[in-house]
Amino acid sequence: MATSRREPLAIAIEGVSKAFGTLQALSNIDLRVGPGEFLTLIGPSGCGKTTLLKAIAGLASVDAGRVVVGSRAVTGPGRECAVVFQDFALLPWATVQRNVEFGLLLHGVGAAERGVTARGCLAKVGLAGFEDAYPAQLSGGMQQRVGLARALAVDPQVLLMDEPFASIDEQTRRVFQDDLLSLWSEDRKTVVFVTHSMEEAVYLSDRVVVLSPRPGRVHQVLDVPLARPRETADVRASLPFTRLVDDLWKILRKLQ
Amino acid sequence: MIVLLLRALSVAGFLLLWEWAARVPISFNFPSPLATLRALVALVWSGALPAATLISVQALGLGFGAALVIGIPLGLAMGVVGPLGRAARVYLDLLIALPTAALVPLVILSFGINVLSSAVIVFAFSAPFVALNAYGGVRDVRPRLAEMACAFGASRLQLFARIVLPSALPMILAGVRYGLSRAFVGLIIAELLLSPFGLGRLIMTARSMFEHDRMFATVLWTLLLAALALAGLARLEARWLRWRA
Repeated sequence: MATSRREPLAIAIEGVSKAFGTLQALSNIDLRVGPGEFLTLIGPSGCGKTTLLKAIAGLASVDAGRVVVGSRAVTGPGRECAVVFQDFALLPWATVQRNVEFGLLLHGVGAAERGVTARGCLAKVGLAGFEDAYPAQLSGGMQQRVGLARALAVDPQVLLMDEPFASIDEQTRRVFQDDLLSLWSEDRKTVVFVTHSMEEAVYLSDRVVVLSPRPGRVHQVLDVPLARPRETADVRASLPFTRLVDDLWKILRKLQ
Repeated sequence: MIVLLLRALSVAGFLLLWEWAARVPISFNFPSPLATLRALVALVWSGALPAATLISVQALGLGFGAALVIGIPLGLAMGVVGPLGRAARVYLDLLIALPTAALVPLVILSFGINVLSSAVIVFAFSAPFVALNAYGGVRDVRPRLAEMACAFGASRLQLFARIVLPSALPMILAGVRYGLSRAFVGLIIAELLLSPFGLGRLIMTARSMFEHDRMFATVLWTLLLAALALAGLARLEARWLRWRA
């Protein structure tokens, strides 16, 4: 599985609102994500960024408006999307290989094909040779690589990542960001990425969407015109990068 | 290595203490380890102990088997269907809080003096623990894992088979292990009170004839049996829960 057999899909979020009791988590969100775009959601805690991601994944219902992935209005989880979770959500009783096969298993893919696909995905994320390990034997960064491989294994057209690097130390995180970018440039999926790190948002994305809290609204959208591939150039040290991070900080500071 | 040494030392220490207690003597009737061992060999040789064991194991197998076959699915169903769990939990708590031995006369009245009665008591002793642990296991499922499975499009059946069941397995097995030790307690209580069958009868007969070495030998034999069964279960658990090592 060198590259995807499926085209990336666009996402349309149309007038989406969601309340938890009296707390207005999302208020009338309108947002479009282009096919193959890398979009990041950022904002103070309580701005509803994870809720919005779950709404796209079909894991959370919305009170008003709708989310359309490709041509399908989302009413529940669909096979176009795959989610990478902040806490990895790996099965502790299953080996790395079986964890990566999990999505395929649920989709009814036969054992032989599951095995081959999962091994391929593990190699892609740099975990070849760890097939028989159990998650608890791996570091946090490696566990998240398993989580990413599991998502890639189902060959999704949309990749939804909920603060995937939040519980990983800084050095590991930087290497992982580079690896994610090179994987993404080989196989352009539509990515919606939630983070609270400004550097991460700017480094990875085509656009950064700043959400404001209570009620969660789209506060501002920041374009990131940095040339790609960024992982090979020394983008993090460049002046345009620093300026963009600073711009983002100025926007976010007012929201605190 | 150190563990083995400690175990050997503790067994030796126990035997020494026993020997000392028999020599003091604590009571005129207190049998020495050697006398007990001799009685044990004689009991095995005469066939009395194997015959009694066969009957007891039948009652245990029947009662504990039923506790597993009914208790585990009941506990799982209680965990999956919320109202059922809340409703059934009260009765299970009651069964656990109750001095279950008080049920023995009622069971004998209902089922008569036979192996089935012993099995019913074994069941009453062990089933509530087996069921409650399975229930707890289901309730301990990490919501994030269920959410993950849903994100990958799991059906309700897949969610149960692929997430709930493996998540609950450690708790279920712990319940089975505890249930088994409770089953042995139930078995001996039933047989001591019912008397005409099994190891309990052997203990009571030996006692009534002041053959305290035989009585002790039977008690020792029962302990060994229970320890063996529990060790077997522990091995099974270690194999099935290898990922926790």
